[in-house]
Amino acid sequence: MKAVVVRGIQQFEVADVPMPEPAAGEVLIRVGYCGICGSDMEAYHTGMYAPGLIVGHEFAGVIAQVGPDVADWRPGDRVVVNDAVPCGECRPCRDGRLDACESLYMIGVTHDGAMAEYCVAPVRGLHRLPDGVGLRRGALVEPLSVALHGVHRSRLKPGDRALVMGAGPIGLLTLQCALVAGARMVAVTEVDPTRAALAQKLGAAVVLDPTRDNVVVNLSALTDGQGPDVIYVCTGAPQPYRDAISLVRKGGQIFVLGLCVEPVEADFMSVAMGDLCIEGSLAGRAQFAAAIDFVAQGRVDVESLITHEIALDDAVEKGFKLLDTPNSGAVKVLVRIGGELTADR
Amino acid sequence: MKLASLEYLEEVKKRSNADPQYLELAKGNNESYTLVLEPEPAQGVHERIVIGFNNVDGKMNEVWIGERPTLFTLSAPYGVWVDILRGKMGATKAITMRKLKTQGPFLQLLQGANRIIRWVEILTTIPTEFEGNYAQYNLPGK
Ligand SMILES: [Zn+2]
Ligand SMILES: [Zn+2]
Repeated sequence: MKAVVVRGIQQFEVADVPMPEPAAGEVLIRVGYCGICGSDMEAYHTGMYAPGLIVGHEFAGVIAQVGPDVADWRPGDRVVVNDAVPCGECRPCRDGRLDACESLYMIGVTHDGAMAEYCVAPVRGLHRLPDGVGLRRGALVEPLSVALHGVHRSRLKPGDRALVMGAGPIGLLTLQCALVAGARMVAVTEVDPTRAALAQKLGAAVVLDPTRDNVVVNLSALTDGQGPDVIYVCTGAPQPYRDAISLVRKGGQIFVLGLCVEPVEADFMSVAMGDLCIEGSLAGRAQFAAAIDFVAQGRVDVESLITHEIALDDAVEKGFKLLDTPNSGAVKVLVRIGGELTADR
Repeated sequence: MKLASLEYLEEVKKRSNADPQYLELAKGNNESYTLVLEPEPAQGVHERIVIGFNNVDGKMNEVWIGERPTLFTLSAPYGVWVDILRGKMGATKAITMRKLKTQGPFLQLLQGANRIIRWVEILTTIPTEFEGNYAQYNLPGK
């Protein structure tokens, strides 16, 4: 079968690889759509995925075959897969802190992923996709779960004011989740004009461009001089992490959802003086089912994020390389593999 | 003249660029600044005042009223700025104590401490009118 395989830094390749076989407790999934994630882009640049790995963790598909001892799932079931499955055995898992699991099973990160015609997944990570949600939108359930989990874990309360830094897919989904959660207003910072326009469309009170606008002055005017209650940092660039500390209100929270590979020098005295809280989260395991409902109910618009749909053969040339081009206008690039596979009702 | 008015800013520029001690300390400085004076309705200060300026090789170059992206943005309630100009609070202390909220490279700002102290000394020589209840602290100038 065909798959996108890591060969090295900036060396991903569409290659022919053996079909995987589902072991006990696993299913084989025929993949419909798989998105390219910001973390895949980081791996493309930094080599943080091991050579030989098949990438892809934002996907939806149909079960093709079930492994031994699998009772509740059948071939033909339409599924999305939680890409960070706790082991259930390590100390944090036994203490019930599943998100702190020491050996998360991460499809497309620690194990072969779904930017391929088929992939295997543990049944513990499976979620049924409701009839009304096609595989295309289903592929965005995973990033939505990340954003939803972040907002859920943050201190945001109804009536609070928030700032989202970076309007990539996670930022745009976080914006919508913060509004659903009752934020009084959500401001966004973004340089790219396509992403800025999308943020505006999806409910941002204002979209500020730090190269053109003075963000402090504008936020101060929008928040009675206090700053936002919660700032979600959803970018891989270091500057916003530094800025967030002086933008957030006293006693406020900075919630980190972006992956900034390089260390950030920041003013930690202001963290103490400002009585600030800095927190972060990685995967949306706990909010996966809720994310599916939000898509099914139409309460979060995931469709607008999809700017490009490409074929598996083009995943590297028209996918990774496109996302690597500044101002390409790309937000979420979906790799169409099997397509809808069944009718999207 | 009124604190943070354009007339005031032009006077700041004139006096700073004529001060040998300041110019010596500011040599080579090319930073840009936004200063935000937050309103304090309880004290009769109702409007947010936003001003800015940039330095070119140590000389104050352009001064403006309003919002532009700058290297540094320092913001504080109006009364904090009054306290600094009255000598009740040192400017660098206000920065290190985060009485002035700072956006921008913090260490670089602190490295200019002596320049900033001299600059504030120059400011205090300008006859200055404050808003609202702060009018009682107006500076006579010298
Ligand atoms: Zn992802
Ligand atoms: Zn575990």
